[in-house]
Amino acid sequence: MINSTADTSSEPEVPPDTRLGRFLWNCRYHPKRELWFAWWVMVVFYQLYGVLFFLVTRVQPPPSPAWDTPMIVQWFDDRHHGLLAGFGIVFLISGMCAPMNALLAYSMRRMSVSRVFAYSYLIMYSLSAIPGMLVMAIAMTVGALRPDRDPELIRWLYDFAFLSFSGTMGVFLVGSVVWLVAILLDKNNVFPKWFAYLGLCNALTEVVVAPAWIFQRGAFAWNGAIAWWINMVVFVTYTAVFIVLLRRMIEREDFGTGPLPDLPDKDETVPAGSVGALR
Amino acid sequence: MLWALPAIVIIWVSAFLLFPGFVHPMSPTMSAEEVAAFYRDETARIRYSMILFNWFGVGLIPTVILLAMQVRRMAHRTPILSYCLIACAGGPPTLFLIANMFWLLGSFRPERAPELTQLLNDLAWVTFTVLVPYLVAQCLVLALAIYWDRQDEPVFRTWVAHFNLLIAVALAPAAFGAVAFTGPFAWDGVLSYWVKNIAIAVWIVVMGVVLGQTIRRRRVETTVAA
Repeated sequence: MINSTADTSSEPEVPPDTRLGRFLWNCRYHPKRELWFAWWVMVVFYQLYGVLFFLVTRVQPPPSPAWDTPMIVQWFDDRHHGLLAGFGIVFLISGMCAPMNALLAYSMRRMSVSRVFAYSYLIMYSLSAIPGMLVMAIAMTVGALRPDRDPELIRWLYDFAFLSFSGTMGVFLVGSVVWLVAILLDKNNVFPKWFAYLGLCNALTEVVVAPAWIFQRGAFAWNGAIAWWINMVVFVTYTAVFIVLLRRMIEREDFGTGPLPDLPDKDETVPAGSVGALR
Repeated sequence: MLWALPAIVIIWVSAFLLFPGFVHPMSPTMSAEEVAAFYRDETARIRYSMILFNWFGVGLIPTVILLAMQVRRMAHRTPILSYCLIACAGGPPTLFLIANMFWLLGSFRPERAPELTQLLNDLAWVTFTVLVPYLVAQCLVLALAIYWDRQDEPVFRTWVAHFNLLIAVALAPAAFGAVAFTGPFAWDGVLSYWVKNIAIAVWIVVMGVVLGQTIRRRRVETTVAA
């Protein structure tokens, strides 16, 4: 889009025939390599995120804020190695958020709207990973670090971790709104308008989670039916939908500035260098 | 902007030497009483060094933004990779400032209960040790951007990409700085402390020089063109 100049002429015009050859060709020469790179990083990140939070560290689904201190200490003891090693991997990989947020910002850049949207979203979501994920990981790590620590301090770390995770709201709330307003204003058809309303649902999850700062029991507590379960369903749906829609955006991308063209029918699509080949 | 970098480096090095827990990094095996005694005995140096770090901890952001601007000049079709660098720029300083705050809090009332001082000290050291994710991502993205910059006069030479990959590898083990109290992965260990921090220092110096050369070359080109 900006620097479409000067790819040197030595590049092979046609990808080689073998699977690996085609993959390597795509990595080096595919015109949409940057977009596919960011898209794949996003997909892998969400897979790892699920595995790490639900299976390795087992901090999700969250335990109850109403537990008494010995149970909380027991909870940390049960997960000691999982927490330390799992969050080690989280610390290693959370930089993967950067290409993901860059791709979402690019989607706004491709719209007919002002660049304010792309840059605001980029900064907000880059910031969001720190209170929303890394601070939680740090608090959990410190909680697991010394099992012989004063139980009341372990309980404080437990609250700190879960509340920073669930209770970081504004960046996601305003960030989702920035994206959905951009989608509604956009005349380039980068996303279908209905996706904006799904974005609104996602923004609302950040509103209904606010009582988690107040209640220790019930539907609004951080492990409650509303503040966790419904929110998680909305978030997972939203994420799955935008992963698919971003993939379609990349397939439709023509590096122009006008409306994104629609995809040709499935049968006519040229497979050269599309996702299939990248796999 | 780049001229600020040497000044920042000098301030960081002095603050590093001033903080009593860095030259011989504090061990995670210290007992709560030992940690509390350390904060009581060294209160002044902890405060002054950390105030210095608090002032200048964000000093790296302009450098990363300069890199993002160079990436923008590369032969790419989208601004995604420079967006990635912008997305990474704020992360490490923010995490460092959180650690910095815990150290300062620890030294604010050194007479508090030793367990509390130990908690603040643990939070500070864990945050400081594991602040690598954005640095790793920024090195990898930069390396990828350079590999993809296929034009007659690439913005950076290929060795800069290899160098960034190497730094990313050197930084990675620090993410696991909390899994062990002793050995190379411990937060005062060879990998999590020395390799990581030396890698950051080397990266700053090398990338500072590379950026300086690139910007100067660019300036000559534009003058000639004009």
